[in-house]
Amino acid sequence: MVAPRVRPRLGRDEWLMGGGLLVLALYLAVTLLLPLALMLAKSVQDREGAFVGLTNFAQYFTHPALSGAVGNSLWVSALATAITIGLAFGYAYALNRSCIPFKGFFRLIAMLPLLAPSLLSAIALVYLFGNQGALKGWLLGESIYGPIGIVIGSVFWTFPHALIIISTALATADARLYEASESLGASRWRTFTVVTLSGARYGLISALFVVFTLVITDFGVPKVVGGQFNMLATDIYKQVVGQQNFQMGAVVSLLLLLPAVLAFFVERWAQRRQISSLSSRAVPYHPKSRPVRDLALLGFVGLVALVILGILGMAAFASLAKLWPYNLSLTLSHYDFSNADGGSWASYGNSIRLALYTAVFGSLVVFVGAYLVEKTRVAKPLRTATHLLALIPMAVPGMVLGLAYIFFFNAPGNPLNFLYGTMAILVLATIAHFYTVSHLTALTALKQLDPEFESVSAALKTPFYRTFWRVTTPMCLPAILDIAIYFFINAMTTVSAVVFLYAPHTTLASVAVLNMDDAGDTAPAAAMAMLIVYTSAGVRLLHAGLSRWLLRRTQAWRQQGR
Amino acid sequence: MTTPYLRIRNLTKRFGDFTALDNVNIDIHRGEFVCFLGPSGCGKTTLLRAISGLDIQTHGTVEQDGRDISALPPAKRDFGIVFQSYALFQNLTVARNIAYGLENRKQPKAAIQQRVKELLELIGLPDSGHKYPAQLSGGQQQRVALARALAISPGLLLLDEPLSALDAKVRVHLREEIKSLQRRLGITTIMITHDQEEAISMADRIVVMKDGRIEQIGTPLEIYHQPASLFVAEFIGAMNLLPATRIGHGEIQLGSARLACAVQGYEPGAAVRAAVRPEDIVCTGKTNGHANSLQAEVHDLEFMGPFFWLSLGGGELGEHRLRAQLPSQRARELDLRPSEAMHLHIPAEHIRLFPSSYSHG
Repeated sequence: MVAPRVRPRLGRDEWLMGGGLLVLALYLAVTLLLPLALMLAKSVQDREGAFVGLTNFAQYFTHPALSGAVGNSLWVSALATAITIGLAFGYAYALNRSCIPFKGFFRLIAMLPLLAPSLLSAIALVYLFGNQGALKGWLLGESIYGPIGIVIGSVFWTFPHALIIISTALATADARLYEASESLGASRWRTFTVVTLSGARYGLISALFVVFTLVITDFGVPKVVGGQFNMLATDIYKQVVGQQNFQMGAVVSLLLLLPAVLAFFVERWAQRRQISSLSSRAVPYHPKSRPVRDLALLGFVGLVALVILGILGMAAFASLAKLWPYNLSLTLSHYDFSNADGGSWASYGNSIRLALYTAVFGSLVVFVGAYLVEKTRVAKPLRTATHLLALIPMAVPGMVLGLAYIFFFNAPGNPLNFLYGTMAILVLATIAHFYTVSHLTALTALKQLDPEFESVSAALKTPFYRTFWRVTTPMCLPAILDIAIYFFINAMTTVSAVVFLYAPHTTLASVAVLNMDDAGDTAPAAAMAMLIVYTSAGVRLLHAGLSRWLLRRTQAWRQQGR
Repeated sequence: MTTPYLRIRNLTKRFGDFTALDNVNIDIHRGEFVCFLGPSGCGKTTLLRAISGLDIQTHGTVEQDGRDISALPPAKRDFGIVFQSYALFQNLTVARNIAYGLENRKQPKAAIQQRVKELLELIGLPDSGHKYPAQLSGGQQQRVALARALAISPGLLLLDEPLSALDAKVRVHLREEIKSLQRRLGITTIMITHDQEEAISMADRIVVMKDGRIEQIGTPLEIYHQPASLFVAEFIGAMNLLPATRIGHGEIQLGSARLACAVQGYEPGAAVRAAVRPEDIVCTGKTNGHANSLQAEVHDLEFMGPFFWLSLGGGELGEHRLRAQLPSQRARELDLRPSEAMHLHIPAEHIRLFPSSYSHG
């Protein structure tokens, strides 16, 4: 006789958690999956919405002016990626494997581009190398408008992203490998190629794909400094905003999706390999001082830092100079914006509101969501599905997401149509755009907690939400703060997704930079870009202070984390 | 016979094609201390998680105190649990940790404080209530976890390898403490462990498990002296397992020696495995005054302090090897040296036979 299968009965906790998970899955479906699906559909429809198969794609590729953008995007992105990875590797090597002084300072400088929209570097380049540029002669007659400008600008703003990834890969090394290599009589060069490079290879591969995707999907730099040079990302903008050709915009979006999806899978593969390559028995490596090498590296790092500061400084100065290049006396008049076309203090206010809403609601949704994905005891398939949904945004360029939002929320029959043109849709888009990294940060923090907290809580007949509030949340507070600041700064600096979605009363500072620059008001554009930098920097400082305070307050129970 | 407090019937747990628990039946009586013992992967943790409702079984029933709890979520069951990792709430003080289950029951504050005070005294940490878990040693943290589980006075206490994260000395000390606490409170307790010494020293009864099945249930003495299977014989304590043949007259042939033992269930001529504990082998030296004796050479002597390990072979043993435990004092009397021949007496009641076809792994 076979006993009947046991059907577990669900308690209040299980219902609430399963229900919460379902709500989250629906939320992600509405703000992510459905818009993207609709965009896929649009790419195989004509303007009237009839199914036309791959006609749009054929049309795109037979149109030389359009398809030329594919080749342009590929080689410019490849070049910018190669330069960025080279520089970032040297920089990361100096920070992690040498004995140069002021490491903290140099690390800080390298992170500065994260505080600015990608547009800022392009604007600074115009001031440095443009028709009236201070260093125009350095280009030997070439124009900054075009591939040169795009490559330099892209290297500037993607540099910190590459540095973070490569630094992580170089930060942990097994000293035993170096000792073994040395005792076997290998030359320093051979040790470098066999031990150092191969140890960091997954980090390098990962950084390579991430940077390539960032460049090829970026819209700010080519828009400002691209001139007549066609790139995929600017193409979408032209097709959609310029010619109202949404179908062609969808086609280009799908093309942009390819490298991003590829990068996503390579990144995940590389990350898994990176972790497993370091065994728990490894002995941490401590660099020894070698004066000649250290001096050379210091020179290199100093030069890179100087360039970063130079570009930022140029933008800062441009925002203050009365009339570049004729009258260089300082003024705050460009920060007035009342005479500029396309921006105002109201857009700055909107950006602050967007950043605050995104930080608050984003961290709330992400953290509760990650908790449910990690801790729900029932509904395993739903947990997996929700987790996969949360990973999608990493593979979706902002422009693609923005366009998908137009298709979805502006569709006449959609009951959510009322969101179109509101602040709410900007918040939804920004949360969706930056969901993955936040989700993974939250998961990492949750995984560090004892997995049996929920079991103990259930055994003590205490509802899960009480333990979530009294134990899980306080213990994860540093991670929650990190997520909030990540959302805030990205909401301040992002252009790509929101450029399709803002309305006259919800213009944003980052978009204003773009529009003012477009209208020829370059100095106010620089001023607005610097405002964003100052705001991000201020919030960063606040975050650092808050984190330190929090750590001190909770020191009693954080010591010797076992 | 009273009805058991915990009745587990036909419990089966499958993960896809893998069967983690295969038709397990156990009765546990009120106030009993039972250990689930087995190597990792034997299903003991799965069984504990099924009893607690944390991972409910696919088939079978669990009854606690006459109530069918087979399908209930953990919050609807009556148990306290302590994990190997302690799972103490690190951001709460020791007192708040212990009070955690009480605070949810809307008891007056003073009553909670009183109960926490009692429990802190019970675990011998009366002055540590204001500390955070990270400020305590591993053993102290484990006791706090115990107090937290006991605070709500559960009918059943589940201990999931509670001692294996501690160092050896603390472990032995906590063994006694947990055992005496359990006796004082009279709480029905299940502890899972892979440490046979721990099980033998603490349990009223031991459930030995292997590959999702129960190999034997019995008191520590029964498990040790009357192992029901070759697996139990090998897993608990040290054991010599020698190939032998059943011959007539209630004897087996081991090498060229004939030894009397209980041979029920084996046909003459059947190949068997003879199991003998090293401490049950008596060395009589040059003299051979006993029946059930054989002669062999000392191959190796290993001094362990209170006793010697002897490695024996040759003589009547032939190719077989036998390990014996010889008290140091007796070894001195015999003046043992390597490669000396000597007589060994193996009492018939200490030889147990198992089928030799038994595959083990």
